[in-house]
Amino acid sequence: MNSLVKTSKISILRNKSVIPFLTAVRSHWNKDFKPGPYPITEEQRIAAAKKYGIPIEEYEPYPDNGSGSGDYPKFRPESGESRDPFYPWDNPELKRNFGETLHSDFDMYTEDRYDINRKLRYPLWVMWLQFLGVIGGFAFLHWWTYQFRMFLAATPRQYPTDGKVHYTFEKP
Amino acid sequence: MGNSFGYAFENGINRYLHPEITPSPDEHPTFDPLLGFPEGRKERVMLATKEEMVSCKIPLVNRDYCAHKLIEYLGCRKDNFPFVVKCAHEKHAYLNCRYDDFVTRMKEYERERRLRVKRQDKLKQPNCQPIAA
Repeated sequence: MNSLVKTSKISILRNKSVIPFLTAVRSHWNKDFKPGPYPITEEQRIAAAKKYGIPIEEYEPYPDNGSGSGDYPKFRPESGESRDPFYPWDNPELKRNFGETLHSDFDMYTEDRYDINRKLRYPLWVMWLQFLGVIGGFAFLHWWTYQFRMFLAATPRQYPTDGKVHYTFEKP
Repeated sequence: MGNSFGYAFENGINRYLHPEITPSPDEHPTFDPLLGFPEGRKERVMLATKEEMVSCKIPLVNRDYCAHKLIEYLGCRKDNFPFVVKCAHEKHAYLNCRYDDFVTRMKEYERERRLRVKRQDKLKQPNCQPIAA
């Protein structure tokens, strides 16, 4: 009897462990995230634009150069950091609306990563001028004052292996 | 001579303005060491042998005329570890030796400088032989 109970317990556990796999197969699997083949005919282009919810005039797939992007649309990326924080996003954590087509490199443009829409506070040439001014200024000072460098007024250390006789200032 | 650190800046500027009478700290004396010492000078004696220094692993920069004091100090440290405070006397003796060595080197520098000044003064006088280098 005891062994029967044990067996039934194992079967329950096994059934439970199957549930996540079943869910994955029944609903979206990663094959469903894969873009379709590269659109060649006009009908395929229209179907792809409709699939991604993009007007056909704005739809443009990535070039079919073997990168595997298929019919995924190419558009200007927008970083999460540059998006309006006060807009009522459906998904405020990602600043993203429901059903919004994500950029191909979306994982790079989240708020904790690269901000591609960033505007510099000062132009780049001003920043280069500041950098070179400070570093170059100190380098110039170092180079120019090297001829006046200070030292203690003493001869180098005396070693018996110098090959010459060293003397004190006392009488023998 | 006592304020050797205070004159460090002035030394650098003198070396730039008067290089002919200001020796570099990197060069050894150029004049005859016995010039101007009619009774002669006492020679410095090296007390530690090379074998001792190699055996004690004394760094090459410290193998000078104070090396025997350094060997005593390091040996005392080894014998008394971890109560190395007992070696205060040996350490003091070694550092005093280094101090006296530095004073000797400062005197050598000043002697070299004054001899160079003398040589320059002689060169300015007509028909005079300069001091032999």
